[in-house]
Parts: sequence; structure tokens; C-alpha cells
Amino acid sequence: MLLNSVIIVLREVLEAALIFSILLALSKQSRIHRTWIIWSLLIGLFGAVIYGINIPLVSEWFDGVGQEVVNALMQYAVYIMLLLYIIILLLYASEPAPETRKLLVIMMVLITSIAMICEGAEILLYFFSVTRSAHHYAAVMMGMIIGASIGISIGFLFYYLLMNICEKWSMIFGLGLLILVSSGMISQATLLMIQADWLPAQMPLWNTSDFLSEKSVLGQLLYALVGYEATPTALQASMYLGGLILPVFIIVLLKLKFKG
Amino acid sequence: MKSIRTFLITVILSTITLVVFLSALNGYKDSMHKAEQLFDMALVDKAYLLSIVFSLFNENGYKPLSESRVINLMQAKHPEIKGNDVFMFQIWQDNILLLRSLQTPKEPISDFKTGFQNKNIIGHRWRIYAFYNDKLYLWILTAERSDIRYVLAENIILETILPVIIMLPLLGILIWILISYGLSPLRKLAQELGNKKADDLSPLPVDQQPVELIQVVNSTNNLFNRLKASFLREKRFASDAAHELRTPISAIKIHLHNLTQVVPEDNHSFQQLNDAVNRMGHLVEQILNLNRTSPEQYISKFTEVDLYTIAQEVIAREYQQFAEKDLQIELEGKHVHINGDPFALDVLLQNLLSNACKYSNNGDSVRVSINTTEQSVELQVQNSGPGVPEDQYGRLFDRFYRLHGDRHDSGVTGCGLGLAIVQQIAELHQARIELGHSSFSTGLSVKVIFNKNNVNTRDEGRNNA
Repeated sequence: MLLNSVIIVLREVLEAALIFSILLALSKQSRIHRTWIIWSLLIGLFGAVIYGINIPLVSEWFDGVGQEVVNALMQYAVYIMLLLYIIILLLYASEPAPETRKLLVIMMVLITSIAMICEGAEILLYFFSVTRSAHHYAAVMMGMIIGASIGISIGFLFYYLLMNICEKWSMIFGLGLLILVSSGMISQATLLMIQADWLPAQMPLWNTSDFLSEKSVLGQLLYALVGYEATPTALQASMYLGGLILPVFIIVLLKLKFKG
Repeated sequence: MKSIRTFLITVILSTITLVVFLSALNGYKDSMHKAEQLFDMALVDKAYLLSIVFSLFNENGYKPLSESRVINLMQAKHPEIKGNDVFMFQIWQDNILLLRSLQTPKEPISDFKTGFQNKNIIGHRWRIYAFYNDKLYLWILTAERSDIRYVLAENIILETILPVIIMLPLLGILIWILISYGLSPLRKLAQELGNKKADDLSPLPVDQQPVELIQVVNSTNNLFNRLKASFLREKRFASDAAHELRTPISAIKIHLHNLTQVVPEDNHSFQQLNDAVNRMGHLVEQILNLNRTSPEQYISKFTEVDLYTIAQEVIAREYQQFAEKDLQIELEGKHVHINGDPFALDVLLQNLLSNACKYSNNGDSVRVSINTTEQSVELQVQNSGPGVPEDQYGRLFDRFYRLHGDRHDSGVTGCGLGLAIVQQIAELHQARIELGHSSFSTGLSVKVIFNKNNVNTRDEGRNNA
């Protein structure tokens, strides 16, 4: 039970912690004060509790696949907002006007709070379902603490890593990570849509469970960081690649435009 | 990196958390595996024991006690034992079940194949060991509930992980205290530098500093020494230059005076020369005053001074220039003793009065007043001259700034340093200056407000002159 709860909590916390740390480091470069994070945390926590409590109701929507569909839609929304954020950041990175800064702050608050609502609700749901039996209470609690601590620690270390490399590399590295994380979210959202039968189910393209299990800490880190899946379907893989190529394509276009 | 302390605490604690918890997880996995092996060994031992005991009974022709009989006997001594739903066994011979534990089914619980197997029996997952006794042709099957074994093992291992989780917040506090303590010399050094006054260029103590800061302190001390030497040179240069300039200016003035014997006084060139020499003399005096009263140079000699007496003295000294313009000058207020530098205050008043005189028309009035309020002592100089537009107030303190630029029509000697000197002296006394309209119908009011807390005042009776 301990390992299971570590993996489940780590998966959710790590993803949110990475998004937080990357956006926090990038906001420092855009000379944006980090008070936005308080709003994100407040909205995220409040939203996660509300959503977590109402998940039984949400699950009944769309013929019983409401939770999968809503989660997938939230992840698609996060991806689109991350894409817009990257475009705005690249267009006005050097000297953002107050209005642009405000827009960037709103986007960051929305991205992080939606990510928190999505991940936080999953943790709450898991917590409520497992702790109903007192049998595994200690193991589950300890697993949750360990998982959350590992996730938050990795988030902090990533933040300081981005803050302590030179500004140009920090921007490239930060944006690269952001694109990878957001593409991973596209892949997860697609998997949820397949589970909800909104997208056709397919045979996995390959199986790398023996090589690197998703149920290991490294597997979870790669899952959050680059959307690692041991058994991806063709649809998932193509959505992931599409999610990866689109922002790269936009960045190249913007760079060419600047040079022109 | 905004704070070294936050950075160090966060990074160290995050790294420790990561390393400790990953090791704990690794240890958990290994311990669970070892516990599994231990339980398996116990299961094998039970099978061997059953085999030996059954063989002995069989050889001696005894009939073994049924499990229910054993449980009854046990319960007589230990009433808490309710039955055995964790362990079960079967003994088979030629497909005939010879003996089984109480709650065990009558069918074989596993295949007759030596070794371990996992099976679902009566709603639970069981770990089963099958052993073949080839002397008596017996199959001994022993089984234990997998979930119970898992929970038992996990509970034991969790006991070892729990202290790690509890210790981590304590470790965080300990790291916070230690890092704060470790960084205290840096904080102390910053505090010492922050508390230094502008003119305090004394070196910082080196002997109490940690090795890492010695170089910083040495470099700072070298910088202080160079700065001090530079200030001294500058001060010496200013006084030397002033001295060197004063002598030739005095000589020129004497020669100009002598020239009046030869050249008529109304000669235009002679008058221009006379004005230029006076302006130059004034400029040298003002530059000297500015230099003497600058906070970097000034070594204050604060004593108790009577502002009223100083005002009387300055007015008496400067009276000639007021009389020349037929100005009315009045001094009102009372004797107030403040803690200040007499020379600097004298220069301050002299400049204020000189300005009031210069920028007044013939027959105007000048009023000097010294008032005390609960919080402050106010020295105010007002004139009834044409005054200064409000939008120019901010610029009046700029060095070499003169109202209306070079075209100003006061027709008096001036160099635009007077109010800059006044401001500098006010700062030395932590006083502030307020400019405004005078209480006359026109004119400027300059108010120097000394804070009582800063100048330690003592009041006396009211006087008017």
C-alpha cells in the first residue's frame, strides 16, 4: 500500500510542482513579482476540494465517464493556455508592458490552478477511497507524505536549477521543459478520452514496462516530465508528437519573424 | 538568488528529503522482499515439521489429534485464540486426505508439485508450499494468507520508516537554525557596514571574522583607507587652493584700491574689474564654505549654541549691506539653545541673510524670526522682495543655480552656492528646509526646522530687536 500511495501521489504532485517551478522561474525573468503564486495556491486548493467532493456527481455525466472527460478537457485547456503563454512570453519577453505582464500573470494563475484542481482532486479521491478502511491507514498516509515530499522537493530543486543557470539557458531550458510537460498532458488527456470511449481504443505500440516501469519513481518522474508511457497507443503517441511539434513550430516561426 | 539562507535551507532540505525518502522506499522494497522470504522459510519449516511429526505418529501407530481437539486444548489455556484462518495444511497419501486443519477445504489446496504456489481459496489469496515425503509417499501442503503476511510485514517495516518522516520537520528546523547561525558573521558584517555613518571611515575589525570573510573585510578596509586618504587630500587641496587664491585676490583688491588714486571711480572698465574681483572673492569664500560643511569632510564640533545670539551677531556683521539698500531688518523670537556647530550655523544664517538682502529692492523689509514649537525650533528668514516662482523652489538648492540664469537683474555679487550651503548645513543638523511665501505681501520665506529630538534644545524668555 505504501508504494502504491507513493506512486499515485507522486504522479499528481510532481506534475503540478514542475509546472509551478518552471513558471515561477520564467516569471522572474519577465520581471513579474511572484505574489501570483498565492492566488494560484488558494484557487487551486479551494477548487481541488470542491471538485474532489463533487467527483461522484461529475462521474455520472456523459453516461458515467464524466470524470475522465472533465479531467481530459482540463488538461487540454492547460495545454492551450501553456501554448498561448509561450507565444506571449516570446513576443514580449524582453520588455513586457504592464498589460502584457497582467495577461501573463492571469495565464500563469489559470494554468497552475487548473493543474492543481485536476491533480489535487485525484489525490483527495484516492485518500477518501483508501482511508475508508482503517487497515491501511498508516501505510497510505505515510505513502502520501513521502510521495508529496519527493514531488515538492524535485519541484524546488528544478526551480533553483532554472534560477541558477544563465538567463538565456534558463529561458531555453524552461520553455523546453514546459513544452515537454504540456505534451505529456496532451498524451494523458488522450488516454483519458480513450478510457471514456470518446476516442477509439487501440493496441499498444510497444511495451517498455520491463525496461522502465511506470510504477517506479524514475518512471513517475519521466511520466510527469516527458509524459512517459510504458504502453502508449498510436493515437496517444501521435497526439504527444503533435503537442510537441506545434509549439516548436510556433517558436521557430516567431524567431524567423524577428530575424526578418 | 534573493536570500542565501532561503536558498541553502530549501536546497539542502529538498535534497535530504529526496535522498532519505528514496532510500526509505528502496529499503521498504528490500525489506518486504526479505520478509516474504522469511515467511516462506517459516512455511517450509512448518511443512517439514508436519512431515516429521506425522511420520513419527504413523510409525508408532498413534492417531494424531484433530485440529479441533488441539484448538480446544489451546483455548483452555489461551481463550483469545478463536481458530486459525491465517494458516492451513493438508496431508495427502495416494489422493486420500489423511489430515487437514479445521477450516481447510477437503479438495487439494494446490497442485501436487514441490515448491511454492499462489492460489485463491475461500475468498483470499494464499501462499502455499507443497512438500513430498518420499518415504511414506505423503504430500504435505502448508498455506498462509498472502494479504495477512503482507500487512504483518508492512506494519513492521513502517515502524522503521515512521521515525524518518517524523524526524524530517525537526531536521528542517535544525538546518534552519544551523544555517542562520552559520550566516550570522555575514549578517553581522552587513549590519556593521549599514550602521556606519557617512563620515566614519574607520576600519572594520578583522580578527573576529571567519576565514571566508577576511578577504572581504580586508578589501573593504583598504577601500576605506584609500577613501580617507583621498578625502584628506581633497580637503587639503581645497584649503590650500583657497589660501593660495585668497592672497592674490587680496593683493588685487589692494591694487584696485590704489588705482582709485589714478583712475576715476566712475570709469566703466574700473567698475567692471572691481565687480569681477569682488565676485571672484565671494566665489572662493563660498566654495570654501561648501567644502568645509560637506558631510564627508565635516568634522562637527557640536556644542550648545544660542541661535538668537548667532542671529544677532550675523545681523550686526552684515548690517552694512542692509543699510546700503535701505532695508528694514528685524529680529524676533527668543533665546533658544540648541546643540549645533556655531561656525556652520553662522555660515547658514549669513547666506540666508545675504540672499534676502540681494533679492530685495531698496526700502524693502527683512524679518528673521526664531520660534519654538512642541517638536521643533524654527529659524525663518523672510523678505518683501519680488519673491521666487513656486516651480523654481526645487532648483534653488542646485549648485551654481541662479534665478533667471545669468541674466538675473539683481545687480549683486553671487555665485548660486548660497542655498546649497544652507541645505548642507541643515542636513548636518538633521534639519529640513521649507520654502514658501513670506508673510509680507510679496517675497520669499526660508524656514529651517530643527527637530528638538536631534538638537537637544533649551528655551529662554522672549526677546525682540
